Amino acid sequence: MKAARAVASFDSATGMLRALARFLSGRDVPALGRAPAALDAPVSGLLGAANRLPPAVRDRAYALSGWASAIPPRQAGRVRADALASWVTGHYPRRRPQTLLVPVRRHGVAPDDPRGDLAAVRTAGRELLAANPDLVLHHMHDPNQDRLMIAEMTYFRLKWSRLPAAYRAFIRDHLAPGGRLVAVDCALRWPTTTVGDRYLFQFGALGDASPEEYHRGGPRVADLLSRYGSPARRWDPPAPDGESPEAEWGLQPALLDDLTAFAGRHGLGLDVLGFPTPQALSPAVADLYRAWYEERQLPADRLLVESFLLLDPWQALRTGSVPYWAVFGTESCRAGLAAYLDSTAPYDEIRALLFNHGTESIGLAGAEDWRRTAARARKLGVLTGVDAAAYPRDFAGLVRTHRELRKVRTRCPMPQPLDVAGVPDVLTSRQDVVWRPAT
Amino acid sequence: MQHSAVTQRITVPVRDGPVVAWRSPGREPPVVCVHGAGVSSREFRPFLGALGRCGHDAWAVDLPGFGASGRPSGPPVLRALADTVAEWLAAVPLERVVLLGGSFGCQVAVDAAVRHPDRIAGLVLVGPTVDPAARGCGRQLLRWLRNSPHERLSMAPLNLADYRDAGTRRVIGAFRESLRDRIEDKLPHVHRPALVVRGARDRMVPQEWAEEATRLLPRGRLAVVPDSGHMVPYRRPRELAETVAAFLAREIAPAADRAHGPEGRRG
Repeated sequence: MKAARAVASFDSATGMLRALARFLSGRDVPALGRAPAALDAPVSGLLGAANRLPPAVRDRAYALSGWASAIPPRQAGRVRADALASWVTGHYPRRRPQTLLVPVRRHGVAPDDPRGDLAAVRTAGRELLAANPDLVLHHMHDPNQDRLMIAEMTYFRLKWSRLPAAYRAFIRDHLAPGGRLVAVDCALRWPTTTVGDRYLFQFGALGDASPEEYHRGGPRVADLLSRYGSPARRWDPPAPDGESPEAEWGLQPALLDDLTAFAGRHGLGLDVLGFPTPQALSPAVADLYRAWYEERQLPADRLLVESFLLLDPWQALRTGSVPYWAVFGTESCRAGLAAYLDSTAPYDEIRALLFNHGTESIGLAGAEDWRRTAARARKLGVLTGVDAAAYPRDFAGLVRTHRELRKVRTRCPMPQPLDVAGVPDVLTSRQDVVWRPAT
Repeated sequence: MQHSAVTQRITVPVRDGPVVAWRSPGREPPVVCVHGAGVSSREFRPFLGALGRCGHDAWAVDLPGFGASGRPSGPPVLRALADTVAEWLAAVPLERVVLLGGSFGCQVAVDAAVRHPDRIAGLVLVGPTVDPAARGCGRQLLRWLRNSPHERLSMAPLNLADYRDAGTRRVIGAFRESLRDRIEDKLPHVHRPALVVRGARDRMVPQEWAEEATRLLPRGRLAVVPDSGHMVPYRRPRELAETVAAFLAREIAPAADRAHGPEGRRG
C-alpha cells in the first residue's frame, strides 16, 4: 500500500509537514494540493455555492469526503511503517512528525458508539501492528470534534517507538557531524484503554471538552447529542485503565530514548523543546518572530492568527506578519489568543484565519467571537477568507483563505534563515516552554 | 436659511450658488455626508434617518452641480468641490464635524480634511475610491458591473434621477475627476481619527485596497459591514449607523473636552 494513499491529508501532522516542505522550497501552501492556482477562483465559486445546501446535506458531504480518503480495513495490515517514513522524508523537511494519521473505512457504526467502533476495527488494528513492530497504535474516537469524519471511518494514529530507518538515513545524509537535533516534546496526555500490546484506545481528544466530560458526560455533552439528534445523552466508552501520550500531539517517550541513543552513537547534539499543550508554544513562537522582525528593523505590528491546518509559514513571512497558531476554533483557543494579546504590545493589524471542521462541537467559538478578538488591533482587525454565515461548514474556506492571503500586500523582503543560537532564550521566556539538552 | 419638518432642508448660499443640505438634528458632533460621483444625497436618506435615530446630528449635502444644489458653469473639479464643502461648513456654521464620504465623496472629504483641517474632527470613508491597482476607465467599469448584483434594486431609480439632475457631461466629469485624483498620496496627511468602512461584497473597493487605505491613514481603523456591496449607506443603513456611532463614541471626544485643548487630552 502506498504511504501517500494511507496517510490522511486533513490531519495536523500532514498539514504541517506539507506547509514546512513547501516553505523550504520557497513556496506558499496551495489550497488544492497539486491543482494549478488558476483553478482557485472557479473552485472557490463552486464550493461557495455548495454552502447554500441545507446543513444536513453538507454534514453528509463532509462524512463522505472522509470515507473517500480512508483506506479499507482489510488493507490495514498492508500499511508499512518503513514506507510511511520514506514518504515523510521524501518531502525533504528538516522537522519530521512523530505521529501519522491513517484513516480506516468502517461502516454501520454510529459516532456515539465508541465500543462498536473499537469492535469493528480491532482485527484491522491487530494486523497492522503485527506487520509493523516499531509502531504504537492509538485508535482515537472523538464523537465531538470528528463527528462527521468518523461517521464512515476510524482514526488510526500511528506513533513510532523507534526511529525509523528512513529518518536515520535522512539525518545522516543531511546533518553535519556535531550538528544538533531538536526533539519536540508535547507532554499532553489523555486517558486510554489498553486493547493489546502497543494498541491503545483513546476516547475524545484535545479541544474544549475535558476528558471528564467525554467519559462521564455533562450538560454540554447532552446538548451536543441532542443538537445532532442522537438518542443518547452521554457516551459509554470503554473504561480507561491509564494515561498515555495524547494520540495526535503527545510524544511517545520510547522514541525519545531511541533518538537519544542514536544521537549519542553519531556524535550529534540533541535538545528537547518541551511544552505542556500544543497551544503553549504559540505565544513563544510569536515572541520569536516579533523579536526577529525588530532585529531586522522591520515593523512588527502585523499578526496572522493561523487555525489548525490553515497555516502558511511562507505567507506569514511574505506579509511581514507575526504568526500565532490557534490549535482549533474553540473558545479556549480564542481565550488563549486574547491572553496572548494581553501579554504583548498592541498590534496595528490582526488577520484571523478560521479552519472549518464541519461540526458545531462543544465550546466552539463563533466567527463573530473571533472577529471581535481580532478587532483588538489598533487599525484593522479582520477575518481573512471566512464566510461568517457558513462557518463552521464553509466548503470554500480553504480555497478562499489562500486567495485572500495571497492578496495581502508585501512589505518586506524574505529574510535569511534565523540562526538557532538565540532561539532558546526567546522561546523559554514564556512560562511552560522549556529547551533543554536531552539526558 | 429655509427649514422644513422632520428631516430639514437647509439652503445656504456659497460662492456662486446655493448649496442644499438635509439635516436630522441630534447631539454633537455633526456628521456630514458627502455623496459619490454623479449621484446626490438621495442615496444617503436611509442612513440619515438611521443615524438620526441613534441621536446624532446627521447632515447630507448636495455638492454644487448635483442633486438640489445650484448649477455652476464648467465641469466639476475635485479641489473646488472640497473648497466648497469647507466654505459651506463655515457658512452654516458647523464646527468639529465628522465628514462621511461615500465612494467619490471620500476623495472630496479627504481633500477637504488635508487642506482645511480646522473644522474637521474626523473622517468616515465608506467605500473609498479609487483603488490605485485599478485606476482606469475600463477596469472601473468592469468592477462597477461586478458590484451591481450586490446593490438594492430600488437604488436604480434614485441613481437615474441623480444623473438626470446633474446632466451627462457633469456625471462623466465627476468620474474623470475621481480617476485623476490620487487619494493614496493624501491619506498619510490626514491627522484626524478616520474610519474606513467596506461592504464585505464591495467589488469596487477590494479588501486589500481598504486595508491599504487604512494603513496609510495615521489614525485609521477599518470596519467591514457584512452582506453589503459598494453603497453601504443605502444597503445597510442601520449597521453603518451603529458602526459610525461606535466610532464617534470611541474616537471623537465630546465638545466639553475642548476646554482642555488638544494637548490636554494627550496621554
